[in-house]
Amino acid sequence: MREVGVVAFAQSDCLAANRRDDMADILAPVIAAAVAEAGVDRGEIDFHCSGSHDFHEGRTFAYIESLDAVGAWPPISESHVEMDAAWAVNEAWSWLQLGEGDIALVYGIGRGSLARDADQVSHTMLDPYYLSPLRPHRHALAGLQAQALLAAGAIGEADLAATVARSLADAEANPHAQRSGRYDVFDLLTAPYVASPLREHDVAPLGDAAAVLVLATGDRARELAERPAWIRAMDHRMDTHYPGSRDLTRLETVELAAGRASAMAGFAASEVDVAELHTEYSHAEPLLADALGLGRDVVLNPSGGPLAGNPTTATGLIRIGEAAARIRSGEADRALAHATSGPALQHNMVSLLEGDG
Amino acid sequence: MSRALVAADLPEPVATIAAPFRVDYTYVAGVGRSTYLRGMAEGRFLARECPGCGQVYFPAPEQCARCLTGLLPPSEIPGTGTVSTFCIVNLPFPGQLFTPPYVVGHLNLDGTGNRLMHRIMEVEPADVTVGMAVEPVWAPRAEWEPSLASVRYFRPTDPALRAPLPAEVVPAEAAPGGADA
Repeated sequence: MREVGVVAFAQSDCLAANRRDDMADILAPVIAAAVAEAGVDRGEIDFHCSGSHDFHEGRTFAYIESLDAVGAWPPISESHVEMDAAWAVNEAWSWLQLGEGDIALVYGIGRGSLARDADQVSHTMLDPYYLSPLRPHRHALAGLQAQALLAAGAIGEADLAATVARSLADAEANPHAQRSGRYDVFDLLTAPYVASPLREHDVAPLGDAAAVLVLATGDRARELAERPAWIRAMDHRMDTHYPGSRDLTRLETVELAAGRASAMAGFAASEVDVAELHTEYSHAEPLLADALGLGRDVVLNPSGGPLAGNPTTATGLIRIGEAAARIRSGEADRALAHATSGPALQHNMVSLLEGDG
Repeated sequence: MSRALVAADLPEPVATIAAPFRVDYTYVAGVGRSTYLRGMAEGRFLARECPGCGQVYFPAPEQCARCLTGLLPPSEIPGTGTVSTFCIVNLPFPGQLFTPPYVVGHLNLDGTGNRLMHRIMEVEPADVTVGMAVEPVWAPRAEWEPSLASVRYFRPTDPALRAPLPAEVVPAEAAPGGADA
């Protein structure tokens, strides 16, 4: 294994709706900030990799516009994933592992505000034969999962509200958060349901934002950053597409990915100081923490997590960036970043990060 | 089963299902592109120059895609230029504004450094050459919109090279805005 570490991370503010900037203009200052933080010349970047999704943009091959923010001149080595940019990190990390280069720039752009009605988009992401004709409400599948967890006694509604209250309070220290504040659990429990047992605050609010990571290998990373956040392991597993075939109360994908990543990293997922979890809904946090074996001593989503801002395909990438930031600042020695894709946590990636001792 | 299955034993296959979807999006043009689009709605070609490399863009984004430097404020260019390369479109396709054959070209607009793609009309396709001078033909003022469709096509600057528009041309008022070239 090569040492591959995060040496810079930048993100834009997450806005409920950015009506000023096109894709390139949201990205440009974020890329500039990350490249400046890494202290590299553009020409030194060996590989660019990004993630976004045309369903959110409403155009085919929408991401090519973002190349105007990267500067594809002279021509660059580049790739794109049609999903959360956390998977672009995985591609870049693998590319560096293969020895193809030493520095990679990964960016994610997510614009949740462009589709005027998220219900029009959400069902198009489901299979066209079984689920899409039912036109499920955008939160319907998450509601089924949360209700199943409630029925199994794994969580209570107050736990969901407590997760939201803690996340939004933590988000007060995050200048990029879309939503933050101090909320009383009992007040939250009086809010109406959007998909019982989920309430509006249990849903990560869709927004517009971009995020950029710079990865570097070995000694090059040590030159560029005082304390690189080494990505010791990444693994992702996907479950079947039909939620009815799954036990929604158990995340076998996460268990497998965490086990595999732990073997690769040399430490268990439970041994981290901090975990950034891609919680599109509040009920995902206890479900993920259980599947990962995270104890009460592990700090969960100190940034506020996605419940404080969910810029669609940038959200998972931001988890890796936030986890890396805790290591780079010295607050944590080991961190976990989780990213998800698909309905009801169908596809999950676990990354384990570590600082030099 | 005592005999092999034959096609008649199988259920009638479902050949199609209706799975329509419609999604409405908000288009965010961005600051840079809005400058160009507003110019089109006003009957003006607004170009922008990069202070770093001197490249002049039309249409212009907000920053130079080479230098990643913010572009200078817009300045108006005449919209005249020369043919950089071209091809003759011979295939009909849905949404087409003009009946083939007609010419689509990459144009070097005077004062800019990038090529603009547009139709070249009022000329026999066989008479189009690389380097030929062209000028824009605007749609009637009432039809100007924030789109390159405000320019209906380019034509030879030299009147001697011009030919009548083909009679088959779809009337502009019936043509959808921003249709494919």
